[in-house]
Amino acid sequence: MASLLRSLILLLIVQSFLVAIAFGSNEVEEFSEALLLKPLPDRKVLAHFHFENRAPPSNSHGRHHHLFPKAISQLVQKFRVKEMELSFTQGRWNHEHWGGFDPLSSMNAKPVGVELWAVFDVPQSQVDTSWKNLTHALSGLFCASINFLESSTSYAAPTWGFGPNSNKLRYGSLPREAVCTENLTPWLKLLPCRDKDGISALMNRPSVYRGFYHSQRLHLSTVESGQEVLGSGIVLEQTLTVVLQPETTSVESNMQPSWSLSSLFGRKVVGRCVLTKSSNVYLQLEGLLGHELKNVDTEIEAHELWKNAEFELSLKPERVLRESSSFLFIFDIDKSSDSEPFDIGLTWKLPSKWSCQQAPLHASRFLMGSGNERGAIAILLKATESQEKLSGRDLTNGHCTIKANIFQIFPWYIKVYYHTLQIFVDQQQTTDSEVLKKINVSPSTDKVSSGMMEMMLELPCEVKSVAISIEYDKGFLHIDEYPPDANQGFDIPSALISFPNHHASLDFQEELSKSPLLSSFKENSLVRSYTEVLLVPLTTPDFSMPYNVITITCTIFALYFGSLLNVLRRRIGEEERFLKSQGKKTGGLKQLLSRITAKIRGRPIEEQSSSESPAAQSSVLSSKLIFKIILVAGAAAAWQYFSTDK
Amino acid sequence: MKILTLVMLLCYSFVSSTGDTTIHTNNWAVLVCTSRFWFNYRHMANTLSLYRTVKRLGIPDERIILMLADDMACNARNEYPAQVFNNENHKLNLYGDNVEVDYRGYEVTVENFLRVLTGRHENAVPRSKRLLSDEGSHILLYMTGHGGDEFLKFQDAEELQSHDLADAVKQMKEKRRFKELMIMVDTCQAATLFNQLQSPGVLAIGSSLKGENSYSHHLDSDIGVSVVDRFTYYTLAFFERLNIYDNASLNSLFRSYDPRLLMSTAYYRTDLYQPHLVEVPVTNFFGSVMETIHTDSAYKAFSSKISERKINSEMPFNQLSEHDLKEELENTNIPNDELIAEKQKCPYSQMRADLHEKVEKLENVDTVVNLSIAVMVLAVMVSSSLLR
Repeated sequence: MASLLRSLILLLIVQSFLVAIAFGSNEVEEFSEALLLKPLPDRKVLAHFHFENRAPPSNSHGRHHHLFPKAISQLVQKFRVKEMELSFTQGRWNHEHWGGFDPLSSMNAKPVGVELWAVFDVPQSQVDTSWKNLTHALSGLFCASINFLESSTSYAAPTWGFGPNSNKLRYGSLPREAVCTENLTPWLKLLPCRDKDGISALMNRPSVYRGFYHSQRLHLSTVESGQEVLGSGIVLEQTLTVVLQPETTSVESNMQPSWSLSSLFGRKVVGRCVLTKSSNVYLQLEGLLGHELKNVDTEIEAHELWKNAEFELSLKPERVLRESSSFLFIFDIDKSSDSEPFDIGLTWKLPSKWSCQQAPLHASRFLMGSGNERGAIAILLKATESQEKLSGRDLTNGHCTIKANIFQIFPWYIKVYYHTLQIFVDQQQTTDSEVLKKINVSPSTDKVSSGMMEMMLELPCEVKSVAISIEYDKGFLHIDEYPPDANQGFDIPSALISFPNHHASLDFQEELSKSPLLSSFKENSLVRSYTEVLLVPLTTPDFSMPYNVITITCTIFALYFGSLLNVLRRRIGEEERFLKSQGKKTGGLKQLLSRITAKIRGRPIEEQSSSESPAAQSSVLSSKLIFKIILVAGAAAAWQYFSTDK
Repeated sequence: MKILTLVMLLCYSFVSSTGDTTIHTNNWAVLVCTSRFWFNYRHMANTLSLYRTVKRLGIPDERIILMLADDMACNARNEYPAQVFNNENHKLNLYGDNVEVDYRGYEVTVENFLRVLTGRHENAVPRSKRLLSDEGSHILLYMTGHGGDEFLKFQDAEELQSHDLADAVKQMKEKRRFKELMIMVDTCQAATLFNQLQSPGVLAIGSSLKGENSYSHHLDSDIGVSVVDRFTYYTLAFFERLNIYDNASLNSLFRSYDPRLLMSTAYYRTDLYQPHLVEVPVTNFFGSVMETIHTDSAYKAFSSKISERKINSEMPFNQLSEHDLKEELENTNIPNDELIAEKQKCPYSQMRADLHEKVEKLENVDTVVNLSIAVMVLAVMVSSSLLR
């Protein structure tokens, strides 16, 4: 018996060992942080914080995390989220100056307010419930009213126009949502070092929110391990993109401003977060160094590159990487300490100019028409200069074409007439089939669901401009449905223009395992751009107006009918006669009254024609009478008071 | 056994029916700013000042429900992004780095406010947006905005009436969602909002009487709007001098309001609140200062209650003026505070204690035994007859 037990124990021990070995291979959770700094052509500086947290696949029961935030893993497990992205943005990405064809802009240029999309791993019938519960959970987690996305009037289920093709995808956005400290703080709390140490310590709230553009993004995706036992791992990517204006002291207007980390954020990096696997700062200089350095081998020049005639860096970079049009200086913040904080600065010596790579078409959107009844929405796609250089052309049937997907949600009170869709290519109206290859429309239902439109356009490469217009009627809301500031207007969420044949990537020929930021740049990301949010003024009731109308109509009615009745019914002669007769009667009544009072007082009736004037006498009498009445009333009140007291 | 369970049941119902017997175990705060639009900056500053105060005095973020009707900190008109000030000198950034807003923007509605108070939420609503208080909770409810005779406006679109508030409080009382509730309101004619309150354990304080306005304190010319209201400003002036260990009484807070400075008359409604204000420290509502009670053994809730009472009444207070001190002296011989506590014990345990005492005193045990046997026989007879 004992030997059996012993062997059993031995078996168990061996088994647990085996399990540990099997899981131990990739059991570690990894966290890495990176900061990318990039001067922008319009004298601004972009700072892109990138944090990546990987939880490897493990058995889902009794799961413990060392670095990975528990709140997120619970969220993923509870709502069976396959992929999710949540972004909080204020400001509008300037596609012309800040770039439209690089991974940074295609991933981090987001629509104003809150945008949320999620793909679920649940049966089709439960997707909507999961979405609703997810919005509530996220609203609690990030201190925002994301729960407004739970109502079916505010989200949509795009099929192919958005990007990931899935019928379990839900997309919603809240353009009016405010973004502030209370959203950033919980986001930072998901990081293992919070904002106490490492790169995230730079995030001084006032300087972040003073920027021209800030977008805080959280992207999570589950990684299937392929093994039944293991379940799935989670990759959590958190980015914060800020565009800041460095303070300039130079008088020259064409001189790029010089800056340093401490001048941008008011803080310095003091050591890295000890829990990270890698912690790097990158400085990307785009296209400017131009011709004189193009033919020089960067490996040799790396030492001199950071100090040249055009600009100077305050620190010597560890390494310099180069892509076709840009340089990347890599700094390691390991060596920094309290006494020697890390503070990279860039000083310009010569005026320089460069431009960013643009998306094939620049998208904008505006409203047409006037009045409060109907209007039209127009989306304008304009060819950009960089179009010729792009490689993403599709040479099908011998024609050079650019494909563009347009995805747009219409709130139900914007009643769009899809038959009025018109497409103008180079100001010439075209029949739909020429450029419109695919369209998917789901009309809105009043107060039940929002409308959605997905379009795929195939445009010739030499196109200069494309305009799409669609007409709509404005709906009426119920009086309860108006927000408190209804007079401000109602928002139409941004339209998304994506170019499925164009992919942005930056390949710095770096081993991928080194830096998650660079590997995310290397991945081909869909080039996409969001349009502006539109503000539609709807007929808003003046809530005091019904009251005014009612009172005014009532007055007018009363005046009208009153005077009419007077004219028709009143007989002046009769009335006068009646009054006269009444006057006689009242005289008799007065006499009767005086007689009665006389009797009460016990005096003989005095004739009206006595020596005293009647008026004086009556006043004397009345004062006496009043005195008596008061006396009696006082007595009665006193009696009442004492009787009730007892 | 039956009788025992009956007694236990009786004991339970007695304990639960008198809410006062429960110990003060936790503190909650519901802070509401009901005004939208930039020119109402001061209302948000009011609320955030209170938020800062209660947080400083020990109420954690998960026990504070903060409702802000608009975004002032990152408003485009704000010269100081991500910062909110309640004073011209800009010494204190109320928004800080660690603010947790639970309801904001369009979410601040009368409906949501009443849902928070009464705890009637949809299932999906996360815990951070719920008031998860219990019968041992002291709740501070602070509201500021524009109001009038028996109403408080929410976002200039809807109104909370005094009846609604009273109903919600009554419901909370019945659901045992609080032990003591303090309602503090800073609006015009704030006192009228309390007219309909009936529930015991509610203490109400308003910034102005009926027919009076509540005024702002001063204008910040950098921000361009008034930054704080008078009532809240002087409330904060009182609290900024305190730390978590101070024992200033509610009475001293109430006395610190000077009608000449407020330009309105602060109103307190104390008729629903039993304890003397002199002996209630402000941290009972504005902070979270828990008594640590030493017990000889675990699970002795009932005996510990008395000790807590004692601590409460012995608590020294930093009085602000001589007058207060006098009043306190007058009130020190609080008559039968302890007796009440004694009476409020569970009848079963009391009975047992009495019996024990008597047994100790008795000399001839035989009579007791005989008596008890007789009682037992009687009990058996009665029970058997009942069973038949």
